[in-house]
Amino acid sequence: MSQKTILIVDDDPDVRLGLRVRLKANNYNVIFAADGMASIAEARKRKPDLIILDLGLPAGDGFSVMERLEANDSLSLIPVIVVSARDREANMDRALKAGAKAFLQKPVANAKLLAVIRRVLGEPALPEKPVVHDLGSL
Amino acid sequence: MIEKALQVLVVEDNAGDARLLREMFSKEKPGSFELTHLLRMSEAVIRLANGGVDIVLLDMGLPDGHGLDTVRQAHAAAPGVPLIVLTGLDDEALAAEAMKEGAQDYLIKGQIENRALPRALRHAIERHRMQTETDLIRTDQMKFQDEFLSHVSHELRSPLTAIYQFVTILLDRLAGELNLEQHEYLQIVLRNIKQLQSMINDLLEVTRVQAGKLTIELQCTSISDAITYTVNTLQGAATAKGITLSADMGCRLPSTNADPTRLQQILIILVDNAIKFTPTGGAVKVQARVFEEDPGFLLVEVSDTGCGISPDMTERIFEHLYQITDPGQAGRKGLGLGLYISKELVARQRGKIWVSSEPQKGSHFFFTVPIFSLASWIGPILMHEKNPGDAIAVLAVEIGSRDGRLSPDVRKEKSHLARRLLQQCLRPDTDVLLPNMDSAGVREILFAVVYTQEFGAEVISERIQRQFQHCEQLQTADLTLAVSHSFLAPISRVKGESTETFVEQVAAGIQDRINSIRLQRSI
Repeated sequence: MSQKTILIVDDDPDVRLGLRVRLKANNYNVIFAADGMASIAEARKRKPDLIILDLGLPAGDGFSVMERLEANDSLSLIPVIVVSARDREANMDRALKAGAKAFLQKPVANAKLLAVIRRVLGEPALPEKPVVHDLGSL
Repeated sequence: MIEKALQVLVVEDNAGDARLLREMFSKEKPGSFELTHLLRMSEAVIRLANGGVDIVLLDMGLPDGHGLDTVRQAHAAAPGVPLIVLTGLDDEALAAEAMKEGAQDYLIKGQIENRALPRALRHAIERHRMQTETDLIRTDQMKFQDEFLSHVSHELRSPLTAIYQFVTILLDRLAGELNLEQHEYLQIVLRNIKQLQSMINDLLEVTRVQAGKLTIELQCTSISDAITYTVNTLQGAATAKGITLSADMGCRLPSTNADPTRLQQILIILVDNAIKFTPTGGAVKVQARVFEEDPGFLLVEVSDTGCGISPDMTERIFEHLYQITDPGQAGRKGLGLGLYISKELVARQRGKIWVSSEPQKGSHFFFTVPIFSLASWIGPILMHEKNPGDAIAVLAVEIGSRDGRLSPDVRKEKSHLARRLLQQCLRPDTDVLLPNMDSAGVREILFAVVYTQEFGAEVISERIQRQFQHCEQLQTADLTLAVSHSFLAPISRVKGESTETFVEQVAAGIQDRINSIRLQRSI
């Protein structure tokens, strides 16, 4: 089974690196983009299987990136998972309307992130682990 | 500068007193005051409601008014207009009470000096203006504070994300092996990250409460589920501290009309607190039963054998800036906002929360939740006037998937969307979208009750279908949406039957229909 490629779009280099280590350990290939323009360029060039997009991007936020992806015939086929530090209530509807497959609020628990990625990529779900002391989403 | 004449409303039924007042005003410069004199409170209220009055001189001994009540009435009719009360010699105590109710000043009839009246009026108006301004400044400040707090809390989540990511990478040994000590210390870091995460969430919750943006989605939901979830979630923490955590729920508790997520939130806050304040060897227990004092509610109790709370604090602990300052509370972490948030959540779900406790004797926290009643949801539409041929129909929208498996996340999202569209197709007085009453099934069915004619139900069904077709997210390949409706046999009202009984009957009929629709679909 060939490795899937995930494009991470986030302006925080630490968050990008953290995601790469975690996703590589789960057998995904990871590429980066730090802002809107770079994300469109990378998507065009590398045709990733999935885009994980942070809404809080500088100069032209995540929503405008989604608009541009939707506007392009081939790019609009790439599924997008939106992540944000902002609240669900305020942004989830808008994100879903813009075409996102899921909305995740930072910080995302690892198990949840991986489960959503597997679902969006059409991969079978892993058996659920028992819940440990868990306050909030972590 | 020509000042506009001050519009003074005098409400005084005693002719002699009124004449004296008028004489005092006549000594003033012409055009500085314009007097309106009324004799009864009822007339005054109408005049105030019409607007344009700058200040009111109110006699508290009016024929159709009762002392303080006249002050309240005047306030209600014109909340922005300052008030001076007129009292007799032996009524100073009453006058003082009037000031507590919001009067700016009081004047004792027969003791008003020359030129004192207009001065008193001007002062009252000025004082009122300053008060309004200060209130506005305070509101603005609070709004700024909330927005600032909200912005900061959101920003804090980004670095928290990075910290969490790398600590878990290390803990999962993705960067190499760990010795026992390193593993232990990293666990401590992770625990504190979760603590920080919790504090940020609490902060944001509080800003939402202050800004009136707290979202509650009422549904028919089980309190037992919420209690079970809470006990499972916090069992680990209790055991780690050597505390027994147990639940005791009456058999077959009725469902509640509440937000399941919020119920969990309230219970987690209360049980987490109980564990924090109970020493090793103690016990925390969660119970639920029908509330004896009001059978329309369930009573939930979280009790512990911990250090207790002194009686003078039992109200104050629900305030949001309250924190325990007792130095004996080692390991007391958190912002202390939990009880404030809980109080707000309980109130928004129409319940009450309180505590019964004594130092060293443990605490008993209680809160009430309304019991779900279909009757309360459909009552309003039944009160609507009936046209001949109108009848009750149950509309069902079934959300399913072609391969029969819908993940809970996706189901929730689609259901949310479908609900919103469905709500838009219903009419406000005669139709009602029922809350989510069953989240256990694989198929999600939304129910609405419409009060209409045969063709009316078809029109609504078609409208719904069209809305769904135009919604891209509901037109995904594997999603199925089925809209159907069925009319109830007409239920006529028996003579002398109370409205309550009638509504209960109709509700029972609707519940039956819903049950049979569910049964059919699950085959």
